[in-house]
Amino acid sequence: MIRVLPPWLRSGRVLAGLVIVAIIGLCAVFAPYLAPHDPNEQNLVSTLLPPAWTEGGDVSFLLGTDSLGRDVLSRLIYGARVAMMVAVFASLGAMLLGAVLAYIAGYFGGRVDALIGRAVDVWMSFPPVVLSLILMVGLGVGLRNVILAIIVVDWTRFCRVLRAEVMVVARKDYVSAARLVGFSHWRTITREIVPATLPLLITLVSLEMGIAVIVEAILSFVGMSVSATTPAWGQMVADARQYIYDNPWNLMFPIFTIFLAVFGFNMLGDGLRRTLDVRVTATQRV
Amino acid sequence: MLTTIIPLIGRRLAISVFILLIVSVLLFLVLHVLPVDPAAMSMPPTATIAEIEAKRIEMGLDKPLPQQYLIWLSQVLHGDFGTSIHFRRGVLGLVLDTLPATIELAVLSMIIASVLGIVGGLVLFHVRGTRKEPAMDFGSILLLSIPEFLWSLFFILLFGVALHVLPFTGRLDPDMRLPLGTGFLLFDSLAAGRPDIFWSAVKHMILPCFALGIAFSPTIMRVLRSSLIDVYQEDYIHLARLRGLSERRILVRHALKNAILPTLSLMGVQFGFLFGGTLLVEVIYSYPGLGNLMVDAVRNADLPIIQAVGLAYCLVVLVINTVVDTFYLVLNPKLRIR
Repeated sequence: MIRVLPPWLRSGRVLAGLVIVAIIGLCAVFAPYLAPHDPNEQNLVSTLLPPAWTEGGDVSFLLGTDSLGRDVLSRLIYGARVAMMVAVFASLGAMLLGAVLAYIAGYFGGRVDALIGRAVDVWMSFPPVVLSLILMVGLGVGLRNVILAIIVVDWTRFCRVLRAEVMVVARKDYVSAARLVGFSHWRTITREIVPATLPLLITLVSLEMGIAVIVEAILSFVGMSVSATTPAWGQMVADARQYIYDNPWNLMFPIFTIFLAVFGFNMLGDGLRRTLDVRVTATQRV
Repeated sequence: MLTTIIPLIGRRLAISVFILLIVSVLLFLVLHVLPVDPAAMSMPPTATIAEIEAKRIEMGLDKPLPQQYLIWLSQVLHGDFGTSIHFRRGVLGLVLDTLPATIELAVLSMIIASVLGIVGGLVLFHVRGTRKEPAMDFGSILLLSIPEFLWSLFFILLFGVALHVLPFTGRLDPDMRLPLGTGFLLFDSLAAGRPDIFWSAVKHMILPCFALGIAFSPTIMRVLRSSLIDVYQEDYIHLARLRGLSERRILVRHALKNAILPTLSLMGVQFGFLFGGTLLVEVIYSYPGLGNLMVDAVRNADLPIIQAVGLAYCLVVLVINTVVDTFYLVLNPKLRIR
């Protein structure tokens, strides 16, 4: 049975990463069925409760409540929605923008390459957090704008790495052969170059998903992400930071959840890199 | 050597100035598609519509965008960054008051990141091929998954709340006053002959600096390890071994010299990122630097500050990159060929 699986599915890292990501993904999709409470339901008589298993805990609030008496577990589960939406759409968007520019720059070279390279330089001189904050000021808060801001900030990650790879591939003999046979530029890029760089692209997307989760958490931590009525992990951290002496548990749960999500994406990315990259030797893939 | 390096540095500087100019245009564009009205915000709520309109004209907001940009640019070049809408103070003064705190934080964090990164890289290289390697490798991925954001909060929980050994708010104990001077607290307190303030400042910096330092060290570790592995494939290492040199000597005197170059270049890039990373760490630790100023300004839509602080961040990153490139040119003779 296990022998028919493709090699990348046999890697322990990939499997571990997939399991973690799948659990968080399922939480996001089935949040209304999994969450014991409405995430915005305030319970002002039982605020800042510790988890159920500690002294003073309440069984109906398994992980305790925040400063407004909202159920921490339910907010974590609902928070997965924003995190996963941002992870998926922001990373795919950044990939699309960055990869298209990288293929153009790496394949054609010359002036186009220099122009795109300059644009990357300009972006690189902006610290990512600063740029995303400024963009959020310009765009206004909301899920769509968070995704847009991350795309606009992070396309350079794809562009820089991929451009170098495309330049190497574009100089290979089989690419010249394709051109000699009469392939158009479009066909050469889509049929010959994109498949060769696909493993790198998949790895980068997986790592970018982890980065997107962090950026969203940071933006919602400073209150510049989704509106206050949408539960997000960063908001939970900000709330817990204020009441850290009253209930340190509240800070622990969202921190661990964010860490778990990022760790899952990084494991997945690292595992895929090892199994999909043809240059890595067999022994390094385990 | 100097005759080949100076034109290269000149070129690098010209590029940096050009980039800064583009950055200023981008900043201006992003912030001027805003739905908020800076004129209305700078007036008391009782102001009439006519008064606000007069203010708009006074602030030049009725002019076309390119003209507004040029006016702003010429003011900036004359050192006039405008007045903060929220703080009602000159923006340049606000930025200059907070910048030293951030630089102090960034430099100390970078030192910690470099030391941890280089030591970690050597350890990772040392255990290659042994049974400890998978565990160490896993550890470095684990470290890579924890950004400064999470380290900061984790340290607050562990050392601030649970163990209660280190402070995690501000730059000094609440009863101490900032000594006047350069704004670099470690320096000012010593110059003022106040070891108590120095010690308090050090204690307040330990957690934020380690949070940033640890977060930025794994990349340095991994690059140093892989460049060491590459260098050890070279013939001159085999030759050194044949000459009977000790492994320690080969590593320190021969391999490290070449392997450290890509690592240094990476550290330059990392320093730029780390400088941006201070923003969040400052917010978490209520550390009164550029980052807290920025977040306050963002929350209040205080445009003059956002523009100035945005530019300040880019300027520092560009200065860091230029210095690192220059340093790299001096260290790596291969790059001097034009």
